[in-house]
Amino acid sequence: MKGMHGIIFSYEKKSGLRELIEHRVHGSVPFAGNYRMVDFMLSNMVNAGITDVGVIMHGKCQSMLDHLGSGKSWDLSRNHGGLTLLPAFAYAERRETAGQFRGKVEALACMLEYLRDIRQDYVVLSDSDLIINIPLDDVLQAHISSGADLTAVCTSAPGESSDTYFTLDGSGRIVDTVYDVYAPQGYRCLNLFLLSKDLLVKLVEDCAAHNQYSFRHNILQEKSKMLRFNGYVWDRYAARIDTLKNYYDRSMELLQPTLRDELFCPQRPILAKENDDASSYIDPSGRCVNSLIADGCDIQGNVENCILFRGVRVEKGADVRNCILFKGTVVQSDAVMRHIIADKYVHIQPGRTLMGHENYPLAIARDSVV
Amino acid sequence: MKKECVAMLLAGGQGSRLYVLTGDMAKPAVPFGGTFRIIDFPLSNCTNSGIDTVGVLTQYRPLELNSYIGSGQPWELDRLGGGVHILPPYQSATGATWYKGTANAIYQNIGFVDYYDPEYVVILSGDHIYKMDYSEMLRRHKETEAACTISVMEVPWDEASRFGIMSVNDGGQITEFAEKPKEPKSNLASMGIYVFTWQKLKAYLTADEQDPSSQNDFGKNIIPQMLADGEKMVAYQFEGYWKDVGTLDSLWDANMDMLCPGSGLNLLDKTWPIYARTPSCPPAFVGKYADVGNSVVTKGCSVLGEVKNSVLSYDVTVGEGAHVSYSVLMPGAVVEDGAIVEYAILGEKSRVSRGARIGGAPEKAENPDNWGIAVLGPGTVVSEGEQVAPKTLLDRTHGGVKS
Repeated sequence: MKGMHGIIFSYEKKSGLRELIEHRVHGSVPFAGNYRMVDFMLSNMVNAGITDVGVIMHGKCQSMLDHLGSGKSWDLSRNHGGLTLLPAFAYAERRETAGQFRGKVEALACMLEYLRDIRQDYVVLSDSDLIINIPLDDVLQAHISSGADLTAVCTSAPGESSDTYFTLDGSGRIVDTVYDVYAPQGYRCLNLFLLSKDLLVKLVEDCAAHNQYSFRHNILQEKSKMLRFNGYVWDRYAARIDTLKNYYDRSMELLQPTLRDELFCPQRPILAKENDDASSYIDPSGRCVNSLIADGCDIQGNVENCILFRGVRVEKGADVRNCILFKGTVVQSDAVMRHIIADKYVHIQPGRTLMGHENYPLAIARDSVV
Repeated sequence: MKKECVAMLLAGGQGSRLYVLTGDMAKPAVPFGGTFRIIDFPLSNCTNSGIDTVGVLTQYRPLELNSYIGSGQPWELDRLGGGVHILPPYQSATGATWYKGTANAIYQNIGFVDYYDPEYVVILSGDHIYKMDYSEMLRRHKETEAACTISVMEVPWDEASRFGIMSVNDGGQITEFAEKPKEPKSNLASMGIYVFTWQKLKAYLTADEQDPSSQNDFGKNIIPQMLADGEKMVAYQFEGYWKDVGTLDSLWDANMDMLCPGSGLNLLDKTWPIYARTPSCPPAFVGKYADVGNSVVTKGCSVLGEVKNSVLSYDVTVGEGAHVSYSVLMPGAVVEDGAIVEYAILGEKSRVSRGARIGGAPEKAENPDNWGIAVLGPGTVVSEGEQVAPKTLLDRTHGGVKS
C-alpha cells in the first residue's frame, strides 16, 4: 500500500524537567495550554493522511495511556489499523528481563512482528516529545524524489551538546553524524526519520542479529557508507525540550503571533484530546493581557504574560505574571506569582508569594498545596 | 430492545424569528454561549439524566444539524442499542408528508418509538437553554401514575400571558390549561417539556391524526384533549435557569446571562456538564494592549482590542483598536482593526471590516422606541467604514432585512 505508517517512541528520558516528569513520560507533558507534547506528532501524522500509528510505550506510561485512549481524538480509532499501543512487555518477554531498552533499535527489534505486518510502503519514526507542525507528505515527496534510503529531518538551530548533529553535502546527503560533541555543529537531528518499511525491517533484523541497539550509532553512523541518508532541513518552529528553563522559554515564545502561526497553522490543525470546557470568563476587576488562555478558566485577578491551561481559577486580587499554570490550578486571592510553572491541580492559598526568575523558573509538583 | 424511556427532541422548527441567523440552518444548530449550540442543552440533559436513546426530529434545513450531531459521540450518545437518531420526514407506502405539527412529527415516528418499546416518552424542544434532570421528572411521573407530566416554572405575572399557563390543585394535578391567556389565572408556565406514558400518548396521537381540523400540535391539541378527557395530568415544578431563545432579543439576553453571576446560568459549573462538538484550536490569545472585561473568550480567539460585556465563541478575531461591547460573536467572526461593534450579534464567519460600525447603545439611539440589536447573518461581510444602524438585520447577500 502506498503511503506512510507512523511509529512514535514514548519512553522515559533522563532530563531536567524535574517535577513535570515525576508522574509521566516526556510525550505526555502538557504544553501550550491545550495540548500534550505527543499531540503534535500525532497530528502531523494524521494531517499527512497516516491512518496507522504504533506508539511504543515504556516507563511511566499511565498518563500517556490515559491521554491516548482509543485514539479517537486524532481520528485513529479505526476498525482497520488506527492507533496501536506497543507495550514494553514484549521486550521483557524477549530478553527475559524487565530492563530498559538500550536504544530505539532494540525497542523496534522487540516489535518485529508488528513491523513486518505494516501495510504501508513507508514508515515515519519519531519521538513523542517533538513539538513541530511539519507537512510529512512534503517530507515523503522529498524522500522519494531524492532517491534517498532514509531521510532525517534536521534544523540549523543549535541545541544541546548531547544531540545528534549532521554534516550535509551539497546534494543534501548526510556525510557525517556526530553526537556528544564539544560544541553544536552542522544540522541538529530532530529524531524524525522516514524510510521504506522493507529497509526498516532489514536494518532492525540486521542490528538485532549483531546485538546492536543504537539508532544513531549502529544505523546513522555505521550504515551511512552503504546507504544514502539525506537531511531534510526544517527551520520553522521545532522544539525538543529537556530542561525546565527550555520548557519555559519555548512555551513563552508562543506569545509571539508569528511563532504561534507557524505551530498552529489552520491548514494543519493540531488536534488535542476532546474536552467539554465552557468558554473562559474574564472579570472586569482584573487585568488580563498578553496571555494564552485555554477554555474553562475563571479569571478575576491580574494575569500578564501567562499561559493558562484549562480550568484555571485566578481569584480577585491575585497577581500572576510570567507563569505557566497547568489544568485546574487555583490561585487564591492576593497571591503573587512570578516565573512559576504549576503542574495540574496545584492550589496556591491566599496571600502566598512565589517567585522564580526568568533564568530559573520554578516548577511546583502536581496536587501541591502552597 | 426494550427501553424504559426514550426522548424525542423536536428540532424541526425553522426559527423564523431568528431571521438572518437561521437562513441556512435550523434553530437548534444556532451557536450559543461561546462553545455551544442550542441543541447541546437538551442532548446533554438527556445524557446526564441517564437517557441513552434520543430521536431528533428534523425538517427545516437539517444539513448543519445533521453534521453537527453526527454519531452523537460528544454527548456519549453513540451507543449500541440506542444512541441518537436523526428522524427526518420520510416516504411510506401510503404517501409522504412533511411534519404538520409537533404531535404529527411524533405520530409519524411511532414506529421508531415502538422499536424500543418504552414505558415512557420524554418530549423535548430544541430551542431552550436550561439544565434539568429529566430522571427526577420521570420519577415523579411514575410516583403519581400520571398519563402526562408537564414541567412548569413560575414566571412574572405580567409576562404570564405570553406562555401556556397551567392551573394546578394542591396535589400538583393540572386542572386547567390556557395557551397565552389574556387574563392568566396562574403564573405557572409550561416549559414545553413533557413526559408521557407511551401507550396513552400513542392512542391520543392516533386519534388526533383522524381529526382533520386538528393542528396536530401538543400545546394546542393533545394536552387540551387529554385534560378534557380527564386523564391524570401532573405539573412538575422546575426551579433554575430556563430560557426560550426563539427570538433575537431572547438569544442575546441568554448570552448576556452568562456574564451575570446572579442569572443562574453558570456554564463553568461541572456538576451538570453541557457537552459540545468543537474544533481543535489553540488557546485564546489576549494581546498586550487588549482590554477585556466581564466577557467570555474561547479557544482560537485572538483579542487585540477592547472587549467588554461580550461573548466570544471560538476562532473569533478582534483587531487592534477595535471596540466590542454588549455583543455576541459567533464562531469565526472577525472584527478588524478599529471597527466598533455594540449591542450586536455577529453570525458565524461574518466580518466587520476596518473602521466599520455595527449597532449602538440604546441610550444614544435617535429613536429609542425603534432601537434593537443589530444582527449579521452567517458569512455577512460589512465593508470598510460602513455603518450598520441598531436593529438592522443583514444577511450574506447584504440585502438589509428589516425586522
